[in-house]
Amino acid sequence: MTDTDSTTTGPLGPDDITADSPFTLPGFFDALAEGRLVAARCTECDTQMLPPRPACYGCGSRAVTLSEQPRTGEVISYTSVNRPPSAFEHLAPITVAVVELDSSARLTGRVEASLEDVAIGDRVELRIDDPETVDIDPDFDLSYEEEWPAHVFELL
Amino acid sequence: MSTAHLIAVGSSPLGKTDLPGRDLFSKALAEAFEELPDPADVVDGLYVGAQSERYENQIMQGTLMAEWAGLRNVPAERVEACAAAGALALKNAVRDVRAGVHDAVLACGVEKMTAGGTEGATNALGAAFERALEQRSGITAPATYALLARRYLHETDATERDLAKIAVKNHRNAADNPRAMFQQAVDIETAMDAPDVAPPLKLYDCAPVTDGAAAVVVANDEVAAELQRRSDAVRVAGIGSAANNLAVAERDLTFVEGANVAASTAYEDAGVDAADVDVAEVHDAFTVCEALLAEAAEFAPKGRGIETVEDPEDRSAGWTDVRINTSGGLKARGHPIGATGLLQAVEAYEQLTGRAGERQVADADTALLINEGGVADAHTVATVLTATDGGA
Repeated sequence: MTDTDSTTTGPLGPDDITADSPFTLPGFFDALAEGRLVAARCTECDTQMLPPRPACYGCGSRAVTLSEQPRTGEVISYTSVNRPPSAFEHLAPITVAVVELDSSARLTGRVEASLEDVAIGDRVELRIDDPETVDIDPDFDLSYEEEWPAHVFELL
Repeated sequence: MSTAHLIAVGSSPLGKTDLPGRDLFSKALAEAFEELPDPADVVDGLYVGAQSERYENQIMQGTLMAEWAGLRNVPAERVEACAAAGALALKNAVRDVRAGVHDAVLACGVEKMTAGGTEGATNALGAAFERALEQRSGITAPATYALLARRYLHETDATERDLAKIAVKNHRNAADNPRAMFQQAVDIETAMDAPDVAPPLKLYDCAPVTDGAAAVVVANDEVAAELQRRSDAVRVAGIGSAANNLAVAERDLTFVEGANVAASTAYEDAGVDAADVDVAEVHDAFTVCEALLAEAAEFAPKGRGIETVEDPEDRSAGWTDVRINTSGGLKARGHPIGATGLLQAVEAYEQLTGRAGERQVADADTALLINEGGVADAHTVATVLTATDGGA
C-alpha cells in the first residue's frame, strides 16, 4: 500500500473535488478501470476508506489522503444471495463476502466461488471486470455508472 | 422543558391487505382517536415515517397524511432512515413537544410493501444499502444480515438452532397479540427445516414483507392531563439516536455500536440503567439482530445475546431480567418498514398501561425501544418509556 503520487492531503478545498479525483466516485471508478483500487487514508488515525471520502469516520479528521490498496485480503464473513435484486437475477445464487484487504481496508464484493467452497479466513484476490462482462441489466445503472467497472473476488 | 407523553396509540391490520397506504393510516388514526376529539383540535403538527416512494409512487406523505387527518396549515413532514423511519417520527414529535414548539404532535408511519410484489420490495429495500460497492455487488437485506449472522456464529458459541429459537419465541409471543401478522406458534424443527434465504439465515430468521400503519399521539403535560386519565398516559423518559457507517463492510459485524450509542444516550436522558428496563422491543428484522441488540442495549454479556429466549432465571450471569419482543417482534408481529418503530411504541404503551392481555409482563414500568434502519445500526433510534402511575 502506497500513498499515490501528487496526492492531496485534506481538508479538501472545493477545487480538489473534481470528477478526475478518486475522492469522487467517477475518479475512483476511473482509477479502478485502470487497475488501481484507491482508498482514502486518514493521516491522523490511519483508517482506510473505500470508496474514498473527504472525512474520516474513525476520528472525524478531514486530513485524508489517497492510498492505493493491495488486491489481496481475507474473507471476514460471507453468504449467498439466493434471490438477488432483479438486475442480478441471472447471477443467482451470488456468493458475497466482506473482505479485509491486507491494508485493513474493508469492502463487500461478489466472490467467484460456490458458497460451500468459501470459509472465513480464506485468502482472496480482487479482479476488476468490464461492466459488459458482468451483464447486469442496463436499467440498473444510473447514467453516470454505465462505464464503471465491476469488482469481484477470486479465491487464492 | 416540557415532558412528552404518549396519550393514545393505534395500528392498522398487519399483513397483506387490500388497503393502500393512506387507508392503512386512516385505520391506525381511527383507533388512536377513538376516545379523543378531532386531530385538528389536539395536534399542531405531524411526522410520518415512510421508507420508500417506490411502493406507491407517492412522496409528499406528510401533506397527504395531514390531509387525511383533517390537519391543515400545520407542519407535516416525512422522515426517512429506512426501517428507523417510524422512531424518527416519534423522536421529532418528542423533541417538538419537549422544546415547547408544539403542545401535541402526531407521530405516524406507513408502508404498503406488497404493492410491487416480492421483487418490488427487494428492489425498494435495496436502496438502503451503500450504492457504489454494495448495491453493485447484488446484495439484499437478508444477505447483508447474513454477513452479520455468519460472523456472530463464528465468534461466539451460538448456533443456527439458537437463532431459530429466537424466531420460535417471537412467534409464541405473537400468538397472544391480536395486532400481530402471524398469531401462531411455530416449532423449532419447522424453523430449522425451512428453506435457506441467505445462509446461515433461513426463512424463519427473516421478518416478513408487511403492509401496515401505526399512529401515536405525543403531548405535553397540559394536553395529557386534559385528555387522559392518569393511568392511560406513558411518559417518554429518554430518547437517543445515532448514525453509523452506511456500508456494512466498514462496521463491526458483531457489535452494533450505533445502537449501543443510541441506547446509552436514551438511558442517560431518562436517568435509568439497562437493569431498570422491564420490557424491550428491539429490531429483530432478522433473528441475529435480537441477539446483537440485547448485547448493545447492555441487557446481555457479549456473545450471550441469544439467551433472549430464556426465562430470566435461566440466563447467564450478567443478563438482566428484561422480557424482549413481547409483541412477537418484527418477525411475527410484522414489519411494515416505516411503521415498525411506532408499532414498538404501541406494544410498550400496552405493556406500561396494563393492556397487554395474555402477554402482560407483571409490574412493567420501564420499556426500551430500539428501531434500526439500513443494515443493522446504519441508523438507530432508542427510546425509554415509563409508566405514569408506577406500573401495570
